[in-house]
Amino acid sequence: MPDLIIDGRPVTVDKGVSVIEAAERAGVMIPRFCWHKSLGAAGACRLCAVMFVEGPVKGLEMSCMTPAADGMVVETGHPKAVAFRRQIIELLMANHPHDCPVCDEGGHCLLQDETISGGHSLRRFPGRKRTYQDQNLGPFIQHEMNRCIHCYRCARFYQDYCGYRDFGPMQNANRVYFGRFEDGPLDNPFAGNLADLCPTGTLTDKPGRFVARRWDCQRAPSVCLHCSLGCNVTALSRYRRVARIEARDNAAINGAFICDRGRYGFGYQSAQERPRAPLAAGRPATPEEALRAAAGLLAAAAKRHGPDAVAVVGGQRSTMETQAALIALARAAGWRAPAFFAAAREQAQARQALYALTPPRARSLADLAKADAVLVVGVSPLADAPMLTLTLRQAARAGAAIFLADPRPLALPLDHVHLPLAPRQLAAVLAVAAAGEDASGLIQQKFPLAPELWPRLEALAQAMAKAKRPALAYAPALAASLPGDDRVGLFPVLAQAGTAGAALLAPTDAPGLDELAAELAAGRIKAVIAVETDLFAAAPALAARLDALEALVVLDHLPTPTVAAAQVFLPTATLFETGGTLAASDGRLQRAEPVQAPGLSVLADGAGDHPPRDYARPLPGTDPAPAAFWCDRLGRALSLELPRHPLAEALAAHPVLADLDPVTLPAEGQRPTYPGREPATPESPPAQPAAEGLAVVMETPFFGGDELSRYAPLTADKTGPAVALLHPDDAAGLNLADGATVALDCGDAPATAAVRLHPGVARGVVVVPRLPRFDALPPNLGPCGLRRRETP
Amino acid sequence: MQVDIPQVLFKNRHLGRPATIDEYMAGGGYEALRATIGQRTPAEVLQLVLDADLRGRGGAGFPAGRKWQGIPADHVGTRYVVINTDEMEPGTFKDRVLVNVDPHLVIEGIILCAYAVGACEGVFFIRPSYEGDAKLIEQETQVARERGYLGKNILGTEFCFDVHVHRSAGRYICGEASAQIKAISGLRPNPRKGGPRTSVRGLWDCPTIVNNLETLANLPGIVRNGPAWFKSLARSESGSGTKLYSVSGMVARPGCYELPIGVTIRDIIFTHAGGMPPGKTFKTVIPGGASTPYLPETLLDLEMDFDPMKKAGQRFGTASLMVFDKDTCLVGATLSLMEFFARESCGWCTPCREGIPYVRELLRRIEGGEGTEEHIGMLQEMLPVLDLAYCAFAPGAAEPLRGLLTHFMDEVRAHITEKRCPFGNPPPHVRGKACGTRPPQFGPTPCPEDQCPI
Repeated sequence: MPDLIIDGRPVTVDKGVSVIEAAERAGVMIPRFCWHKSLGAAGACRLCAVMFVEGPVKGLEMSCMTPAADGMVVETGHPKAVAFRRQIIELLMANHPHDCPVCDEGGHCLLQDETISGGHSLRRFPGRKRTYQDQNLGPFIQHEMNRCIHCYRCARFYQDYCGYRDFGPMQNANRVYFGRFEDGPLDNPFAGNLADLCPTGTLTDKPGRFVARRWDCQRAPSVCLHCSLGCNVTALSRYRRVARIEARDNAAINGAFICDRGRYGFGYQSAQERPRAPLAAGRPATPEEALRAAAGLLAAAAKRHGPDAVAVVGGQRSTMETQAALIALARAAGWRAPAFFAAAREQAQARQALYALTPPRARSLADLAKADAVLVVGVSPLADAPMLTLTLRQAARAGAAIFLADPRPLALPLDHVHLPLAPRQLAAVLAVAAAGEDASGLIQQKFPLAPELWPRLEALAQAMAKAKRPALAYAPALAASLPGDDRVGLFPVLAQAGTAGAALLAPTDAPGLDELAAELAAGRIKAVIAVETDLFAAAPALAARLDALEALVVLDHLPTPTVAAAQVFLPTATLFETGGTLAASDGRLQRAEPVQAPGLSVLADGAGDHPPRDYARPLPGTDPAPAAFWCDRLGRALSLELPRHPLAEALAAHPVLADLDPVTLPAEGQRPTYPGREPATPESPPAQPAAEGLAVVMETPFFGGDELSRYAPLTADKTGPAVALLHPDDAAGLNLADGATVALDCGDAPATAAVRLHPGVARGVVVVPRLPRFDALPPNLGPCGLRRRETP
Repeated sequence: MQVDIPQVLFKNRHLGRPATIDEYMAGGGYEALRATIGQRTPAEVLQLVLDADLRGRGGAGFPAGRKWQGIPADHVGTRYVVINTDEMEPGTFKDRVLVNVDPHLVIEGIILCAYAVGACEGVFFIRPSYEGDAKLIEQETQVARERGYLGKNILGTEFCFDVHVHRSAGRYICGEASAQIKAISGLRPNPRKGGPRTSVRGLWDCPTIVNNLETLANLPGIVRNGPAWFKSLARSESGSGTKLYSVSGMVARPGCYELPIGVTIRDIIFTHAGGMPPGKTFKTVIPGGASTPYLPETLLDLEMDFDPMKKAGQRFGTASLMVFDKDTCLVGATLSLMEFFARESCGWCTPCREGIPYVRELLRRIEGGEGTEEHIGMLQEMLPVLDLAYCAFAPGAAEPLRGLLTHFMDEVRAHITEKRCPFGNPPPHVRGKACGTRPPQFGPTPCPEDQCPI
């Protein structure tokens, strides 16, 4: 534990920590360009030079390249160090344009800060500035190479940290060019971080460029809703419109980075199609009218058919506040408990997946990066939890063995072993992983038909047995098969951002959506209230029978088909407008703050008139309110007794979450003490009994696959083609060639798709993207479920 | 050439063409190898080299034996030898001459090194402009392979070793050991600093010995004749062996000479290289290749050896003497070197990537008569910045500039006061020129000369 003194402040750090990092802990910010806490030291910019007065190193040295050592006395403000740094800035500014006012980074620029604070103001170098031609790097990142100061942050992030190769440094000397061999969109699905990383305006956020100056934006800490990981983001809003999303540091979860799905999926907030006005009987109405209409319809249905005739459907993209308010409303009204999951079994599995996170076993994403063997089961990292990919890569870079058992083909930028296995075989992989070093007998018994996978499975068993810090990332469907060994860390990956909250809060006897669909078919359900969920996606069987309902009340902020079918609609506010509590997939509760008031952006206001606003009338588009607020109002309209703070009361009464206060959650979130296996949980039945035909596995497209980014203009058109992926052997059995058009049996109208053959698909499985047209596919396609169609 | 100077490396130079394997063997070639493989242990060979105090001939002068000792003793697995024939230091041409005099001497040295460090594969890293030499080595290694000196089970023993030629893409920085390893691996040749040495983690993450070609060529002699003989070759107290001196510039007989270590600079220039050409007066010499400073006339009696040179504030480097006479403009000479360094930087760190072009621009202005007194201050301020670069490249580039500003400031001032080059040099290209072959990334402005890829 080296003790050193930096600018008179004593500080003790761990061995191996660099001086620049030690200084940060002592509260001294040493200027830097190339050093970044997630990328480490490069020694390229030479700006972090400080004077070592005493200790093993003497003289002017780079603080990023020098590990802290006992007895060091460091002066950051030594005249020689200051003079050296000023000269480095002069050298960098010799070629950097002097046009900060027209640069999107201006005012938010590390080079600008260092230049001004470094005292370089007058140019004395007589030479000309070098110029480059920029490239089109796709829709998200803008390239302005003239502004580059060659800190190599982008290249180190892109190639070393993320493992993608299409962008990087070219040429040498002062000709070094950071770009691609030719123009084109960046391959890296984490490329948006380049805008955060770049210390100048060389790589900026294209959608947010010149939309608003950073200092003009309202900023608020928020949490990403586009998958279950709960990455921390900062939302920036200007004129009541979210202008951009930046990564927010959370050492335990996302570190300093986020994925592009989370960064560019925010547009649903200000989309023109966003429903903002309440509807009653399908017509625009005032909020009061809509509330009265909803209360009337629901009360009438309950009165005529009994309270059990009212079904409540909750969403997995809602905050816990919304989910708790809905549960409280349903309970107070005596309706059926809210259904959040497709099946009651799924709800039990999700809860079990979380309850297994006892303190010795729970792992955060950051812990996962330090594991030395990781098995990922039933999760396709890039599709289900993008930032998990980067975490696995960091683990792999540190030497960890990475195994992924999943039926979908994987294209991951890291060394890994893929076990393409059908969903029903995944539980057996867990058994193999827990079997110890000599598992060959078990492997041959469990996988008699896949001898080509035996060597990989044996390697898995050995790696997990030998590892000191093994970890397991798993889909909730496998929660019942988790090994009991406390040595193995656990990290569940759930479906959506609100899944964990729903699993924790929903009553254990809550029905599944399949059950509601059956009850509706049997005529025992006459009214449905759906909150922030699209029934057509979450419960196609239920959505198919909406005609049979007497009342459909919908609360949402997305223009879903369910909203279009609603008799009464109440517009809800987005997370950017309400804030709220969310449970991440690692069981941690986090708080997102609202960044702006609801209301139409001034850019949309006035419909092109100038001046745009009539100052006498109220702010347009302010009808959306938090879903929890609508639930409360609905309860009042029904004369129900509702708790004042549904979430606080739900947590207080909760067996696990009782110690948490949603208002005072710490910045890095708080994980309650999970009890392990829930005693009351019944043993889940096997997830998918062996069945004839092909098992259908959904793969979420990186963009536009989750419900929110499907309605975000930036990402909606980037879902990719509708293809059905098959193993070549299966395709040969079905007499299908690559590129053939097939019809997939999904209820009334078959969905067409082009067949693609991929050896990375498990046998007996068809992989289709999670697109609306495939929502109604059954879990198994029977012998006639997949038919060739002659192309017209 | 005087006969009393022992010719060890250039024994076969009199042939005027590369010596064949038979000619080489007639002079005792491959005897050292036969006496070693299967007869001595690798540790004994290493001890011989340590005792002989063989220092690296590539410029840094690091003892070869100590470098070899850096390989972790417990390493199981592949080890590599990389023969550094990048030789891109301006003024240095000894390796080219050596390969063309006695290729088998070089090959035997490589095999001995491989035997001492337990390497199974060698990479002969050669600059692309030495294509003829690369072909020669390929041809002669094939001859050695046919005679059983290379390949599997050398001389019928368990020892297997082969060497193949890797042509560089032609960048000066690839001569740096860690950059060279990256270049062979197909990576950007940015030098690596910190972390394990290349002898611990080098090529493909295996222990790798990177030695200069001339260093390895000394091994057959050391092994055959012993360390005492090798030490006796040198004239200076601390030195050992002979050295190939590349003499260029304003001398009567420029060329490559094998002379003992410790011979004085005056001796080399005025005795062996024939002194100044008629009518020319000596001004200064760069004694060790382009990254060493100008040496004033007062230091001409310095012994050419690592330690005495260092003591005098000079660098032995690659022992490449560039001689300048009184009619040569040293601002122009320094500018010429800066053009080279600015072009060859790898572009990793700010002092090198931006600092050397900065210096070059100022020198161009001074040489063109547009310099001001302020520019001298700016040049002086840039010296400590170049010294604190990532690797030794920019500090090396700073040396000629430092020499210029220390010993020849009058000449610099004369450019400023006369507003022209006092030696009558035409102004250098300040504005650059369009050449039409620039890569597309370089914008619509005419490609400045410094960014020209050709």
